[in-house]
Amino acid sequence: MTISKPPGAVRSKTGFWPNNRATIIGVAVLALIIVIVPFTASSSLMNIAVFSMIFALPAIGLSLLMGLAGQVSLGQAAFFAIGAYTHAILLQKFEMPGVVAAVGGVVAAMLAALLVGLPMLRLRGHYLALATLGLGFIVMIAVREWEFTGRTTGIYGYGRPEVFGVPIDNNGLFFWFVAPFVLIGLVLALNLTRSRAGRALSAVNDSELAAESLGVNTYALRVKVFTLSAGFAGLGGVFYAYQVQIVSPQVAEFHVSVELLLMVVIGGLGSVWGAIAGAFIVELLSEGLRDLIPAIIPGATGEVQLIGYGIVLILVILLLPGGLYQAARTSWAAIRRGIRPRSRAADAAAPAVPDGTADTGAGEVPTRAFGGLAGGTSAAADAALLAADLPAVSTPVAAGEPILEVRGLTKRYGGVVAVDDVSFTVPAGRIMGLIGPNGAGKTTCFNMITGAITPTAGTVSFLGEEIQGRKPHVGAERGLTRTFQNLQVFSSTDVVGNVYMGRYRKGRAGILRGMLGLQGREQYTHEAVARDILDSMRLGEFAQLAAGDLPFGRQRMMEVCRALAAEPALLLLDEPMAGLSGQEREMLAGLLRRLRDAGLTIVLVEHDVAQVMALADSVAVLDDGVLIAHGDPETVRNDPAVIVAYLGTDAEEAEAELKELEEQA
Amino acid sequence: MHRAARRLLVPAAVAASIALALSGCTASNFGGDDGGADGAAEEGPIKIGAVLDITGVGANLGVPEQNALNMLADQLNADGGINGREVELIIEDNQSTEDGAARATTQLIENDQVDLIIGASRTGPSLAMRPLVEAAQVPTISVAANAAIVDGSEWVFKTAQNDLVVLERILDDAEAKGYTKVALARDATGFGEGIADIITELGAERGITLTATEAFEPSATDFTAQMTNLRGADADAVIIWGITPSAGLAQAAYVQIGVGKPVYQSHGVANSAFFEAAGPAAEGVIAPMGRLLVADQLSADDPQKEVIDEFIADYTEEFGSAPSSFAGHAYDAWKIGVAAIEEAGTDPEALRDAIENTSDFVGISGVFTMTPEDHSGLTAEALIMAIAEGGRWNLYEE
Amino acid sequence: MIDFLQLTAAGLSQGSVYALLAVGLIATYTVRHVVNIAQGDYATLAGLGSISLVSAGLPLPLAILVALVSVTLASVLIERLVIARVKNLTTLVSIILTLGVSTLLQAIMLLVWGAEGRRLAAFPGSDLDLGGVSIRSQELWMLGTLVIVGGGILLFYEKTRWGKALRASAEQPVAARIVGISPAVASVLAFAIAGLAGAAAGVVSSPIYLSIWSGGLLLGLKGFVAAVLGGLVSFRAAIVGALLLGVLESYVAGYVASGWKDAVAFFILIIVLIIRPAGLVLRPNAVRV
Repeated sequence: MTISKPPGAVRSKTGFWPNNRATIIGVAVLALIIVIVPFTASSSLMNIAVFSMIFALPAIGLSLLMGLAGQVSLGQAAFFAIGAYTHAILLQKFEMPGVVAAVGGVVAAMLAALLVGLPMLRLRGHYLALATLGLGFIVMIAVREWEFTGRTTGIYGYGRPEVFGVPIDNNGLFFWFVAPFVLIGLVLALNLTRSRAGRALSAVNDSELAAESLGVNTYALRVKVFTLSAGFAGLGGVFYAYQVQIVSPQVAEFHVSVELLLMVVIGGLGSVWGAIAGAFIVELLSEGLRDLIPAIIPGATGEVQLIGYGIVLILVILLLPGGLYQAARTSWAAIRRGIRPRSRAADAAAPAVPDGTADTGAGEVPTRAFGGLAGGTSAAADAALLAADLPAVSTPVAAGEPILEVRGLTKRYGGVVAVDDVSFTVPAGRIMGLIGPNGAGKTTCFNMITGAITPTAGTVSFLGEEIQGRKPHVGAERGLTRTFQNLQVFSSTDVVGNVYMGRYRKGRAGILRGMLGLQGREQYTHEAVARDILDSMRLGEFAQLAAGDLPFGRQRMMEVCRALAAEPALLLLDEPMAGLSGQEREMLAGLLRRLRDAGLTIVLVEHDVAQVMALADSVAVLDDGVLIAHGDPETVRNDPAVIVAYLGTDAEEAEAELKELEEQA
Repeated sequence: MHRAARRLLVPAAVAASIALALSGCTASNFGGDDGGADGAAEEGPIKIGAVLDITGVGANLGVPEQNALNMLADQLNADGGINGREVELIIEDNQSTEDGAARATTQLIENDQVDLIIGASRTGPSLAMRPLVEAAQVPTISVAANAAIVDGSEWVFKTAQNDLVVLERILDDAEAKGYTKVALARDATGFGEGIADIITELGAERGITLTATEAFEPSATDFTAQMTNLRGADADAVIIWGITPSAGLAQAAYVQIGVGKPVYQSHGVANSAFFEAAGPAAEGVIAPMGRLLVADQLSADDPQKEVIDEFIADYTEEFGSAPSSFAGHAYDAWKIGVAAIEEAGTDPEALRDAIENTSDFVGISGVFTMTPEDHSGLTAEALIMAIAEGGRWNLYEE
Repeated sequence: MIDFLQLTAAGLSQGSVYALLAVGLIATYTVRHVVNIAQGDYATLAGLGSISLVSAGLPLPLAILVALVSVTLASVLIERLVIARVKNLTTLVSIILTLGVSTLLQAIMLLVWGAEGRRLAAFPGSDLDLGGVSIRSQELWMLGTLVIVGGGILLFYEKTRWGKALRASAEQPVAARIVGISPAVASVLAFAIAGLAGAAAGVVSSPIYLSIWSGGLLLGLKGFVAAVLGGLVSFRAAIVGALLLGVLESYVAGYVASGWKDAVAFFILIIVLIIRPAGLVLRPNAVRV
């Protein structure tokens, strides 16, 4: 499964908590600009400003969709048009009050998005982009051909509703009318990117599998963001209908979607601020080129601004994939470098150093600690670890009761049988080891149990419920969490951000609460838990570091922390010891034992047979996809089939080589 | 250090904005009260705005209209303007779109504060402009055809012949030839909307029924499906109602598919571009139109002959090619508007009344007599029947 | 019945244009995983270019030849200057990038040739009347071009060493290297094929459908829909899909309403993507020709 990422998606700030002060200052400055613009702008600039504000709304929506959900829509104009048409029709044909018509427009756009999103968001990456492109054309043709929507001429003649008794009959007042909505939209969108849902979506962009395994219902979140994005587009459409006073099929045309895409790409994918800047730049570019090109090339008429669109789109993707947002960050960093010189090498090595470290008072980035644990303190550290609180675990069933039952699990790839009719039961509060030679099907088994792949046959019951073939978040929501053999780190955030994601299933705040910013307490509580877990694993000092900058072994430990943060009932560890130092292995083994004693059930796939034998209460052995032994470590160790499977090949080879040597001699 | 800078930023911005607000308080973005829509300024240039289909599917209409207006504005200013005041002509391109027309109109009303608007070139954009100019009370003269543009309007006039009158001429001719069944292929936009209903209505009086209706987009290039259906329709004659180039391309497809029935086209093809699009298939097509394209065949005592000949001479000298009917519509709109401003000034109501009082104005498309009830001012007399022969329109003797 | 056959004939000739564009799209998709939104603009570019060359006095065949070669070179140039410059080009990025290329090409055509549609002189030949079904000679030229150019590209892929290497390169770049074709050469070759197929479609359809600066986008997208029917890998399935699409559009225009014609392709696209993203051919995950 590959997850396509949008081009040069701007990775959100690596600091765990966004710099809210910067946001407040930014919003205040923007609000001030909005207040003064109608007094100072020339009439043509005013016209540009008005349409920038209108188009900023769908652009913010698209930026959320592309940056957060990682989905590109080439049909954003469809929802813009649906909002505009609904507003116009409610006003003109049903003579509804302006407010009702406006709400109707937004709701209609969101409903439409929900309806088409349910089937379409099962598509990935470019397939979704192309399906939305098709949707845009269908909507354009539908409104053009439908009598009800006024065919080619469209809906007109509804006038402008008054706002609080004030007729909005000029650009200045209209600007003041629309701008607050853009500001509110901006704040809501910024809140969302920092909320539980927003973090989950950005985790999905890093690793969909890992996010799913922590309980993130990717599909549902994507549908929600798609619908939300359409709501923004619909609101933009409402204002457009209000301002232009006619809604014709042109509002649904492909070039409107391209313009919106251009706004988001220029601004920087995923940057809400960038979307607003992009809207202004595209409108400015459009007006400017329409004046400029005919002056340079006499006789040039029509949509000459397209030449600018084409060039800008190509250049941004080739030269500045992060858009203006990236450029602003780079130059801000350069300015700061000027103020507080830093070695160029350090910047290059750690491009994701948290912004605003000076504000948080964290001081220098703890790069010095990369080399491993500070020497000579291991005894003391162990003592500290023993004393530290254990991460909480769930114990839904009594120890010894079956928590996971696997029956006849089989996976075939074409003619190859990777896992063949494997059955076993894991009792609660025990550690089970799953071992076997390379390619024996251990990870495939894991993937089927957790839902990452669908079994060809067989059942997986977790807590009495069959979960085979369902998405990983289904098991995760019930307390089944895992780590990965090939690390799945959320590289767009820092270490504490990764562990915080483990708390996802314990949180409740949805998109709406996230947008309204009403989940601060919940987030702080979970963050505190995440930090405690990191401390207990002696990773506390790296909490602020970009996750991708951790050394390999620590990333593995961090994944364990992340899984533990979910307070699982069953923890599946895929080769947790690989890449760890001896000391770290000891520490992890100790931790696992104590977790077991606290009631946690653990299944671990491990290469290091000795470790497993020492740690596990029972051991299952897979060879060539078949379960050849299952029992307590002592029995399994002496099982002849296991010996053949593990040593057989090597022994035979050794013998064969010996024979060869003898013959040659 | 940068924190301090940030702290300074907000007060600085506040101070700057207040300073800007106090010094640059132009208020023009709030509609202003220095003239424009309501109180017309009696000083400075008279502003006439135009919204035309200069690009897009209506470009065959809008470009000659633009040419005519530019030429007439230059002539007028060379002669000293209106009552000594210069006339400023502001032409906006609506890109042949309805919302483009609305945006351009808003721009002309709110920002340029024009005294009179001419346009748009086609029905759809003209309909889109109507509520805007009515709300702002700006006298407007459309150069498009559909009667719906002016029906019941206080502020909107038009100079193109009513489609109603055009269809009357077509159906009269059909009745005279003994046709009882006609089929229609119409433009899918505002220009073609409602045409089927009018034919049904007018045909009933003449014993003619409409047996099939097909529609085509003005941007279409393939007409096989529509023409195949027309071929299958039971009709004595076919009416193709559209503008060039699509109406010309439809004509070519019609002949190629081999429908083989006589064709009437509308006044939307009254230009030479029709022959480029239709090629040899144009031969024998009959269409009602103004006298402009057959000016050389008019009798010497025709009241319009002098005006038309002068316009053709001026236009040809300026642009190197003869004007189309659409240039003529723009000419009429300009002349009627300017005459009314000369008489009544730029007060909107006075100007509107002056246009309504236009009487026996000899223009390119006909002789106009406007009334408060009739904002189009032309009768069936304004139209002649023309036939396509040898790559040009000739006067058709009925 | 005659109407039905008439609509079928018109649909087939329209479908042949989609088919050539689909062939070009598959050529670039299989090698680079690029969905080239600008594919249809190659067609309009070649159409407008040949019109200008003819009006400059070149004989029709020579004008067409020059147009074909120029557009093929332009496609290669686009590959070198734009596509090849992006590292780790995902399909999604390629869509946005070629959307930029398409917009730029359209703007250039608008500035050079103006906003009006233009028509290339019809190729020699006389129209046929087969029992009431009227067939334009140009339509036969269009179908013939599909057979020659489309068939030629098929043969190239199946019979020649380079064609086979190109197929190999689509499946396994390392294997292709062994056959003696570097990924860069394969990419250039694929874009050349795409340019040629697009240009051929544009030149041969210009006398009927006209060439207009903005017309390429929709054409290319319909070619893409046909390519999706072939799972974006099968030339044969895509050609069949394109002809079916053309015919279906023609029926919708004739029997439903001409205005809905352009929506047909996009309904098909969405339905196919949701039901069977691997295309309507049987076995996914393999490059076939």
